[in-house]
Amino acid sequence: MSASEKARSVFERIVTASGVERLLISLSALVLSILIGAVIILAAGRMADCGTAAYRLALPGSLITQFTGGSAVVSMGFCYDPIAVYDQLFLGALGDVVGNPTNSQFATTLAETTVLAFSGVAVAVAFRAGVFNIGAQGQLVVGALTTAVTLLFVAPVFGGLGVLGTIVVLPLGLLLGALGGGLYGALPGALKAYADANEVITTIMLNFVATAVALYLVNDASRFKDPESFANQTEVLPEFSRFPSLLFRARDDFSLVALGVAVLTLVGVWYLLTRTSFGYDLRTSGIQPEAAEYGGVDADRTIVSSMALSGALAGVGGAVYVLMVLGNFQTGIPSYGFDGITVSILAGNNPLGVGFAAFLFGVLKSGSIVVQVGSDVPPELVGVLRGLIILFVAMPEFFRMAGRRFDSLLPERDDQAAVATDGGVRNE
Amino acid sequence: MSSAVERTADAAVRRARSTFEYLFVGRGRLQQFVVAVGLLAVLGLAGAAVFLPGSSAAALVDVLTDSSTLAATLRLSVPIAFAALGGIFAEKSGVINIGLEGLLIIAAFTGIYATDVTGSVWIGLLGGVLASTALAGLFAVVCIEFKADQIIAGLAVWLIALGLAPFAASVVYGGKTTDSVATLQTLPNMGIPVLSEFLVTPLPLVNTALVDIPFFGALFDANPTVYLMFLAVGLSWYTLRNTSFGKWVVASGENPKALDTAGVNVHRVRYAAVLLSGVLSGIGGAALALGIGQFTGSGPTMVNGKGFIAIVAYLFGNYNPIGAFLSTVLFAGLDATQLTLQARDVFQVPRPLVRTIPYVAVILVLALFGRTRLPSAAGDHYESGEGE
Repeated sequence: MSASEKARSVFERIVTASGVERLLISLSALVLSILIGAVIILAAGRMADCGTAAYRLALPGSLITQFTGGSAVVSMGFCYDPIAVYDQLFLGALGDVVGNPTNSQFATTLAETTVLAFSGVAVAVAFRAGVFNIGAQGQLVVGALTTAVTLLFVAPVFGGLGVLGTIVVLPLGLLLGALGGGLYGALPGALKAYADANEVITTIMLNFVATAVALYLVNDASRFKDPESFANQTEVLPEFSRFPSLLFRARDDFSLVALGVAVLTLVGVWYLLTRTSFGYDLRTSGIQPEAAEYGGVDADRTIVSSMALSGALAGVGGAVYVLMVLGNFQTGIPSYGFDGITVSILAGNNPLGVGFAAFLFGVLKSGSIVVQVGSDVPPELVGVLRGLIILFVAMPEFFRMAGRRFDSLLPERDDQAAVATDGGVRNE
Repeated sequence: MSSAVERTADAAVRRARSTFEYLFVGRGRLQQFVVAVGLLAVLGLAGAAVFLPGSSAAALVDVLTDSSTLAATLRLSVPIAFAALGGIFAEKSGVINIGLEGLLIIAAFTGIYATDVTGSVWIGLLGGVLASTALAGLFAVVCIEFKADQIIAGLAVWLIALGLAPFAASVVYGGKTTDSVATLQTLPNMGIPVLSEFLVTPLPLVNTALVDIPFFGALFDANPTVYLMFLAVGLSWYTLRNTSFGKWVVASGENPKALDTAGVNVHRVRYAAVLLSGVLSGIGGAALALGIGQFTGSGPTMVNGKGFIAIVAYLFGNYNPIGAFLSTVLFAGLDATQLTLQARDVFQVPRPLVRTIPYVAVILVLALFGRTRLPSAAGDHYESGEGE
């Protein structure tokens, strides 16, 4: 084995080890968030008022008292049962998926997954370029608005063409979303590249601006508001311009075509990032900006183009939300952009990982509806989990320390295991 | 006699020159242009108000000089100013606290909840401070002990609060918005012996009470947290400049190694600074909610980006507490102006667009004056050489 080959194999092992480590960290963060979430559910159960306790912690528990007789010494009742909540949250979201794979709860889960895949990969692209795009929410809103408003005028032209109309209008809608979101993403990118304005702040401010401008555009019939409606929304787009509901029922607002587009997009972005020179430049700018610039990468241009790409992906997410779920634009778009941050971070900013993380979050979002119906626990619980997951993924050192401590307890250590828990030498 | 006049004229010229230098020298072409346009706009507005009564410029000046605008500016300044002061301490010490928004949110909710439970706004304020400090403590542990990426951990703090506060509100009050509780009273209504009386009693000679002075009356008719804010700005300025703690904080952000060599524990200084940012943001957040007596948790909650505006305020103020306070007043003033504009309906500008004024201003300020010099070790983890 030559020296260069040797170096290469070491390098590869580190990369895979860090990949495995990332996965372990994400999973541990998830488990830890769920555990802390359970504590929060119990604590909230003490704050709420209820007639009978849904959950009871007793010492010694019934497992022991049923044999020894007598009753528990310490017993505390809680209004919410965390196990039941998690049961509804995770399993409820799947519905009867084995018996009836197209059940409406599972359809909701997949619909959420589809939109989250776009917002998640949007955030991931920017992260890989070393840019924090917290503005996926705003870019998604702008993309959704652009699609909904423009198609309102364009779609009727293709009205009589049937399936052909769909083939023309649907991609056009996605493209419009990408255009709107992309431009809105390029703006903070340019502000960062050419005026040194911190993108975290500008993108958050632009989220507020996007929401306000969207409200302005759809709150009056003289602009784009549907005159027949009391709510702030545009007119509903014709049926043929929306995603067809193959296999699933139309009222479940989910389309396998959209999910397919999402999967293709994730694979496409993965290919772009790992197999093209643009992706290479983008990633080097993220890891080592100075080295990238030394290697001839135009840092400013990379920031703008990665933010434009990121915004475009979020914009497509908005277009999908309009063309699959809503059928028009409405104010009060759910916080897909913020969930996208968690999805991306949980996936280690890997476009393929985003798919799995998006499904997990789709389950959480859809499950929160089941929780809301089936118990008194507010669905905002998912918002708490969202933050906790980010926090724990952000502190890999915690898990490394825990891993080392656990590792030192084992009687025999072999080097291979040590590499897996330490994750090799990975410099951040 | 004439020499005294000369001296005053001389001083005036010197002052004018130093102001001119502060505004224009050492700035880029674009910044100079913006400053010039800003000055012209102020002069133009003032001129229009005097010479063209009835014009829309005069109407705008009318809005700007309304006593309610100053009152709203002071009220809206409180959360931003406190969060900005907290952000200065944290960032000066080397920990970028981008989670100020989250600290404000959690303090706002806890402030209301604690007031509701105990019946006292002051205990409510304390509760808000405790909650915010606890969250800041978590952030500090994650960043300092576990070497987390400060930006991501800060975002996590924001998102945790953004989830937790509406969640807790729904648990306790059955909706994202809480019940109304007691509010912080303004000084004249607090029933403080002598002082409250004095503020509303017409003064001799001028025959107006302090609270009735046009425009500036609002300064005497505010709730105690506004005065606390002035105090905190002064104290922070003094602490950073003149105390050894302040010097440690600065050294911990600029040159942690030197501080360590001098025998001061860098981690401990950073913990103190981040916890302090929690205490200060706690006052700000609780004051925001207790000024209204209710926590609104839908969408971006009632805090509505104030934590992020605070970050821009201290960047614009170049990490100086007084500078940060002045830029806070600018942003809060714009917010207050848009509120008065909405209420008065002077101009036919649609409300949703008027509401974006403060956010757009923040973006412009950041783009034009955003090139501040961060403390050189900000964002970096520091590991003591001796191994703690």
